[in-house]
Amino acid sequence: MDDLTREFLLESQEGLDRMEQGLTELESRPCDAELLAGIFRSVHTIKGTTGFLGFPRLEALSHAGENLLGMLRDGRIAADAEVVSGLLALLDRLRGILRSIESSGGEGDAGLEDRVMIARLEALQRGGPASGPAAKAAAEGGGEAVAARVAAAADRPAVRAAAKSRPRRPRSAPRIAPLRNQCGAGEAGPQGNEAADRRAPEEAEPASGSAGAQSARSPRPEAQAEMPGAASPGAAAEPANADSTLRVAIELLNRIMNLVGELVLTRNQILQATGADAQFAPLGRRLDMVTADLREAVMRARMQPVGHVFSRFPRLVRDLSHSLGKPVRLELEGQETELDKSLLEAIRDPLTHAIRNAVDHGIESAAVRSAAGKPAEGLVRLRARHENSHVIVEVQDDGAGMNTERIRAKAIDRGLVPAARAAQMSEREVLQLVFLPGFSTADAVTSVSGRGVGMDVVRTNVERIGGKVEIDSHPGRGTTLRLRIPLTLAIIPALIVRVRGQKFAIPQPALIELVHLSAEEIGTRVEWLENAALYRLRGRLLPLLFLDRVLRQPAREAADCDIAILNADGRRFGLVVDEVADPEEIVVKPLGAVLREIGYYAGATILGNGEMALILHPGAIAQSAGVSLSEEGLEPEMDRAAMSGRDNFLLVETGSGQAAVPLETVVRIERIPRSRIERAGSRLVLRFNEELLPLDGAVEAAGDPEAQTTVIVCRDGSRQVGLVVTRVLDIAPGGALREAGSSAPSAGVALFRDRVTDIVQPALNAAAGSGDNCLRVFAEAQR
Amino acid sequence: MTSATSAPVQEGTQQVCSLRLGETLFAVPIARVLEILGKPAIQPVPLAPDFVGGLVHYRGEVLTAISLRRLLGMEPTPSPGDVLVFESAQGPFGLVVDSVGEVLSVSAAEHEPNPSTLDSRWQALLAGAWKRADRLLVALDSERLEPHRLATSLADAGKGSLAGAGE
Repeated sequence: MDDLTREFLLESQEGLDRMEQGLTELESRPCDAELLAGIFRSVHTIKGTTGFLGFPRLEALSHAGENLLGMLRDGRIAADAEVVSGLLALLDRLRGILRSIESSGGEGDAGLEDRVMIARLEALQRGGPASGPAAKAAAEGGGEAVAARVAAAADRPAVRAAAKSRPRRPRSAPRIAPLRNQCGAGEAGPQGNEAADRRAPEEAEPASGSAGAQSARSPRPEAQAEMPGAASPGAAAEPANADSTLRVAIELLNRIMNLVGELVLTRNQILQATGADAQFAPLGRRLDMVTADLREAVMRARMQPVGHVFSRFPRLVRDLSHSLGKPVRLELEGQETELDKSLLEAIRDPLTHAIRNAVDHGIESAAVRSAAGKPAEGLVRLRARHENSHVIVEVQDDGAGMNTERIRAKAIDRGLVPAARAAQMSEREVLQLVFLPGFSTADAVTSVSGRGVGMDVVRTNVERIGGKVEIDSHPGRGTTLRLRIPLTLAIIPALIVRVRGQKFAIPQPALIELVHLSAEEIGTRVEWLENAALYRLRGRLLPLLFLDRVLRQPAREAADCDIAILNADGRRFGLVVDEVADPEEIVVKPLGAVLREIGYYAGATILGNGEMALILHPGAIAQSAGVSLSEEGLEPEMDRAAMSGRDNFLLVETGSGQAAVPLETVVRIERIPRSRIERAGSRLVLRFNEELLPLDGAVEAAGDPEAQTTVIVCRDGSRQVGLVVTRVLDIAPGGALREAGSSAPSAGVALFRDRVTDIVQPALNAAAGSGDNCLRVFAEAQR
Repeated sequence: MTSATSAPVQEGTQQVCSLRLGETLFAVPIARVLEILGKPAIQPVPLAPDFVGGLVHYRGEVLTAISLRRLLGMEPTPSPGDVLVFESAQGPFGLVVDSVGEVLSVSAAEHEPNPSTLDSRWQALLAGAWKRADRLLVALDSERLEPHRLATSLADAGKGSLAGAGE
């Protein structure tokens, strides 16, 4: 396949995606001229290019579609459900042909079906309203229909010949007219239309009849006229973006990402080597800042708006709604929210599943809804938004909600929960049961509870990429499924632990809490049942796994150890390690096949100091050790979700007043001697976790260098920043702050306990750009 | 990233990189070597197959490194080794040796196939030898050292240790 064809395929596919989106919107806004013009352009661009490349099936079909769209655009017929269905069917057909070209290089052979499709589109053209310019419309419509039919019925070589002649055809008006005449009646329609579209509107008027007039009404004939045919049809549709964006191979971005990783390591070595040299220190710090910004910029280059995935759902909902006979409307929100490309791919299937579920099982039939006093039309909302270092995607329906009693009964029936335990569960806990594997396989559930089909699959898919799923349901009011997705796959927060001197990384999402055991406590606090070690955590027995034994490392003398309490895919256990090191944002590197087969490792990473660490796969470790799925595992997780930091703030006292930092962004609170704070140009920096941490806040230059200062380390997107405070006051629930706070997050000011409190939002600035913004906010907070 | 171009096999001479392992000199065609890493940090991998020496860091990637000593059943040495990086269909991998020596020219005339008396498992790993005037250079074929090939071939060989098989 040549480059031109490949380019054409890519851009046609994008064009069709836009068309699909437009068509589904069209049903709710049938008179939106801009929308219609956009759809028209998509089809027109495809038609123009196919003629150039010689794909007669595509050309004939898109031509018929273009004619119908032209009439819609000009308001001569209305975009009713039938017309939209016809255009969607055309779209599927065009997609099918594109697929065929992609796989076999040719369009395939289905002349008859094409003709049926074209006839359908023609019939739709005739179904226009008989008012106002009706006579003219009918005449034109009829004429065009004939033209299209002739074009479609014409022998393929003839069409191709016509198509081939097109690029060579002169573009100026006077010479087109004679050419049209030569072409004869059969092809006058399509070619005249095409030719006229390539001309500026003022030229079009005198030259041709109906077709010219039609194109003159096109909102952007100039843009199309300037198009050099197939070279960049996508640009015709989006002239504003054409020059400012560029297609880049993912592989190249991955390569750049790797190189940036290399640069970070080199930077660290330089910083270590030049640390003592007064001349090099500022340069080293500058290098440090630039590297951090570069890393973030590269990560951002991998981001795409979630709209890319959302755009397919209006069609899905429309088709489901038609086939189920339930009116359902889909509302999209936050399509511009950006997510790493690979993550975007990963949430496509879970979201499709969730939306299908919502329409199929969540929304009641129109009759039931009306009886319940709800609008007959069901509503499914798909929303995306940023929340600190995560993207939240919600699928919300206003249907019947889930029946917790039935879920409870089913879970007991399936042996997933003991009856006594199930009876104690809160509604919220019961809802989470649908995520347990084995729950949803029960076919009876589908008809009884109506939900929960394949929910464990949704959960597994989302957790595989380090995300989380929550469900919330209110009887009669509907169900909300919430996916919490990390911003990027490439970099994940992890806890670094040590066993026999070797470092391992535990992904943070699996981590619940840490427990330290002294050498003596190991004997008393760890209980043994045969060979199984158990730990009593707040009255509950927790299975313990010793990482050194799991990895068959040599035994060591009794010493202090740490237990990382983990929840991996619903399996809750304690992992005993020699020592917990620091939390770190790690770049995940894949392992070779031979090492992947071991199963316990999810990858490897290169730590900030150049050391390597294996990333543990807690789920696999738990599973192979036989840790059972615990319904209890769900509870603390939910407790955490319920009180998760979004609503809590850390209240601190800065040099000039009181400030509140969202608790979720706080990584840790450090007490350090003042002497460790250094000055890089006008900035304050602190060497922290082998990285330089930009600081803000006032530090008194004079005074005892050993005096302790408190630094709040906050997450700012993928990097960390520090805030120097005089003291930490309290943790405050957000409600009080939010009510008083302004809606503008970066300049939020609230009254709290009768004092003016600045609300610091580092994570929100991550989306806007570099850490500088964050520092600026801090600076404002200081004033 | 440069990929190894195939070495001129039959015509005249070719350049090989010599490697030392204990007292034995081995050699691989230089054209197959992507890069030589001098005494890099090698991260052990618990539970990995015996022939895996560990992980090495190579241009932002983490490579599986085969330990030639372990593969040939030799005693481990405490001193760090050099690592050669080879390309394979599954991506690059490393080979840990005691040290990498100079680049030598060898001629096809000097090459001898594996002796038929050599243990069959060694037969699978070695690609004959170049008999030089001063000493023997044992030829290695990087393709036969690819981790996934070793994993399957050694599993087929009943997971037996190669120790002592050819000493």
